Amino acid sequence: MKKSAPEKFKLGMFVVIGTLLLISALYFIGNRQNLFTQNIKIYSYFRNVNGLQTGNNVRYSGINVGTVSKTDILSDTLIRVEMLIEEKMNKVIRKNAVATIGSDGLVGSMIVNIIPAEGAAERIESDDVIQSYSKIGMNDMLTTLNVTNENAALLTSDLLKITSNINQGKGTLGMLITDSTVATDFKQTILEFKKTSMGASKAIESLNEIMATVNFSESVAGVLLSDTVSASKMKNTISNLEQSSKDITTVAENLNALLSQIKDGQGTLHYLTQESTLVRDIDSTLQNIKEGTARFNENMEALKHNFLLRGYFKKIEREQRKAAKKSSRN
Amino acid sequence: METNSRILEKVKSFFTEVGEVAFFAIRFFKEVFTKPFETGEMLRQCYNMGNRSLLLVGVTGFILGLVFTLQSRPTLMEFGAQSWMPSMVSISIIREIGPVITALICAGRIGSGIGAELGSMRVTEQIDAMEVSGTNPFKYLVVTRIVATTLMLPLLVIFGDAIALIASSFVEHLKGAVSFQLYFNQVFNALKFSDIIPATIKSFFFGFAIGLIGCYKGYYCNKGTVGVGEASNAAVVYTSMLLFVIDFIAVFVSDIFFEI
Repeated sequence: MKKSAPEKFKLGMFVVIGTLLLISALYFIGNRQNLFTQNIKIYSYFRNVNGLQTGNNVRYSGINVGTVSKTDILSDTLIRVEMLIEEKMNKVIRKNAVATIGSDGLVGSMIVNIIPAEGAAERIESDDVIQSYSKIGMNDMLTTLNVTNENAALLTSDLLKITSNINQGKGTLGMLITDSTVATDFKQTILEFKKTSMGASKAIESLNEIMATVNFSESVAGVLLSDTVSASKMKNTISNLEQSSKDITTVAENLNALLSQIKDGQGTLHYLTQESTLVRDIDSTLQNIKEGTARFNENMEALKHNFLLRGYFKKIEREQRKAAKKSSRN
Repeated sequence: METNSRILEKVKSFFTEVGEVAFFAIRFFKEVFTKPFETGEMLRQCYNMGNRSLLLVGVTGFILGLVFTLQSRPTLMEFGAQSWMPSMVSISIIREIGPVITALICAGRIGSGIGAELGSMRVTEQIDAMEVSGTNPFKYLVVTRIVATTLMLPLLVIFGDAIALIASSFVEHLKGAVSFQLYFNQVFNALKFSDIIPATIKSFFFGFAIGLIGCYKGYYCNKGTVGVGEASNAAVVYTSMLLFVIDFIAVFVSDIFFEI
């Protein structure tokens, strides 16, 4: 029985399409497992891989970049995880990146997360080893939770004792809750506090009104607050004041030093200030000079009346009178 | 005593039939690699069994994908895991449901057809006539049909799986607002070679079993026209049972080689 051409064509289509579907499916699956891309191998060491299997995804910042190709137990505490990473990803993954093992969702399969670290580092290359970080496993969490539960039990027991004491009126809190006098006092205190706060509120309102009446735009305060030129001048002034105070301090220090030298040294000033005999001598000398001057005045008066010098003094008096007349005319 | 002897007779006849099927299979392997190759007849059988089963397999696969997704969805939603729907549906269909359902449909359509066709040829002595005329009826009738079922069933399974996944993606798109791209992205993220390769290899064995049992039952048909009906019925029943046995063995072997 011969086959017709359309039947052969249909059969050919059926076979070709079916085969293409299979090949496409295999290609897409292989592509997801990075079988048809250029890959580099990198390693990381863990103490516990939490069920990580060959074929599990490797993610870098949440993007699938490769798969786990092998897990080897090197010792009782060390497991080496070999990962196939797309070669193009070596542009972004650095040698200081950190690998952690996590779960893809709450009930998902395990994955390796590569987390970029801060700071500069070289690009990752084939056969490099990156650091690992072991997260807390479920068992560790349960152990911690067990301890937390025990602590919670102790806390609730203590809390029960405290609340029963409070209910019985023991302690300050118990007294506060059970004693009616304290409650009355407390109520009174609250009332007083309320009054005080109302007074404070009124005072603040008054202050606000006063502040509102102040013309900030033209007052000194306003200028100080808003005028940048004045602020600059003020700043300069303060700066000069600061410099002046520094200078004054320096001068004071110099004076102190000078006084110390005067006080402790052997100079004339030290002699003048510190020697009491000299002071007495000077005092007697000044007394003598005063007496001498008085006697010299008497002698000079006597000379004015002497006939030998009387003409000279009269001549001087005449010239003085003439000068006075001239000045009055002018 | 009579019951025991009857049971013994049944067991004996079972093992005898298994032995006959084994010899039938051995004869097939002897004939398939020797000339002349009945290529034209084999292509005709491929067309009959492949192309003409496509509509049935396609419709079944489409409904299977729809129903499976619709029925699984509420359960997954209870756990807040509806995002796992593409992964779950694809793995279930590709690994197990697609090949088994397609094989059962083909067992019903193709196996019974082969049994009835060869059975009627046997009871009408057409096979004897072929032998007399010098044509090898085993090569012309049996080898071509077994080769055709063995080659066509994997293709039918692939079509059935693809159509079921498309139907599932429709449901997810309509019910869960999941785009087709996201759906198939998740499907291929979830699938591995260990899902698709064992399933495809298994389909070859399913096809071989359908052709082998159908041809065996039809080729050795007797008791006249009643025997034709019996051969057709037995072909479907035995093939269906054998499919599950092969499926169990396939899963067992896949677990050893692929660690599924």
